[in-house]
Amino acid sequence: MAKIEPITGRYVWVPYDGEEYRIFFEEAGEGIPMVCLHTAGTDSREWRHQLCDPAINKNFRVIAIDIPRHGKSIPPYDWYKEEEEYKLTAKFYSGIVMAFCEALELDNPVIMGSSMGGNICLHLAKNYADRVRSLIAIEACEYSPGWHLDWLRHSHIHGGETSATSVFGLMAPQSPDKYRWETWWYYAQGGPGIFKGDLYFYSKDHDFRGDTEKLSGDVPIYYMTGVYDFACTPEMTEDTAKKSKNSECIIMEEIGHFPMSENPDLFNSYLYPVLDKIIAQT
Amino acid sequence: MFEVAWMEKWQNAVNSNGPMSWIGKHFTADFLFGFGDNQYQVSFREGKLVNFSDDIGPETCYGLAIRGPAESWQKFCQEIPPPMYNDLWAMAHPLHGRVTLEGDQMLLWQNMRALMWALDRMREV
Repeated sequence: MAKIEPITGRYVWVPYDGEEYRIFFEEAGEGIPMVCLHTAGTDSREWRHQLCDPAINKNFRVIAIDIPRHGKSIPPYDWYKEEEEYKLTAKFYSGIVMAFCEALELDNPVIMGSSMGGNICLHLAKNYADRVRSLIAIEACEYSPGWHLDWLRHSHIHGGETSATSVFGLMAPQSPDKYRWETWWYYAQGGPGIFKGDLYFYSKDHDFRGDTEKLSGDVPIYYMTGVYDFACTPEMTEDTAKKSKNSECIIMEEIGHFPMSENPDLFNSYLYPVLDKIIAQT
Repeated sequence: MFEVAWMEKWQNAVNSNGPMSWIGKHFTADFLFGFGDNQYQVSFREGKLVNFSDDIGPETCYGLAIRGPAESWQKFCQEIPPPMYNDLWAMAHPLHGRVTLEGDQMLLWQNMRALMWALDRMREV
């Protein structure tokens, strides 16, 4: 009997800010919609274990998207004529995610993202609190400097191998090799300059210092950070969580910056209680 | 730790490593490694650690100096290194500064995969 996973992949055309974006997404399960956001320079494949986990998809419609220029979501048609190199901004990122939710007519979804997908949760809490149910901000903090580097798009440097290797140490040595190298593989496949452009948001445009305390607290935020994350350390997350009303901070042992893909079994064990709370709140 | 005998073992671990033959095919660079008070000029040629020398002087040439306290490197070399010490970039990232990088920074980024692979062999010494 064929071993077929429950994931299905589809494309949706999403209008946003005068453009129409062909966005790829994978989904599995039924119930509360939960949109999963990948890390910088990669794509929805990072979430394959959560999509396939019956303990998750029995209660949640798990949807993992490739934001434009990532994975199977093509760039806007005129990308090659752009006069500035690609730089992801908080405005575009949060706007396209919410436009995607609107296109799929998702009712008050949970948004779960990691790294830049975690940091954007702060902007969603600020600007879209009335349209999201809960935010799960993984490896997130209010300011994460030091990653927007020219080396990551340079004609003398192999972008794929270098991008992938630069993040390998963000994973915990205890995480299974097969999953750490699978995560490396995803990173090696990003489009040229996309990892760097995403890191413009991660390290430059995302600077929430002074704003975290002002979040209304209308939407619960669950912060989850692994102890091996040297880009967003547990201390950085704890500091942000302390300033966030209606938030919880979970520090995960023996895991790093890519919990969902580097050690899915361990990460899911941390995630289940969070999902139970979201179900109880619904 | 980090004496000449240790360096010889690291050299052997790098040069006998199977995947290094293709990962390091184009890895040719000279570094200065500082493990606390122990300093070595280390030469890689096509993925092989061909030479190291602790005779550091006016004629010593290298492209990038990678220096840190012996304590940082000892933690890095543990079978399960503690957080923030498990990777060169983790130790050298500006947020942490447990290792410093001085010189031609591009050497690190150009050769990152092969260099990191070679450094991981330190845990086999």
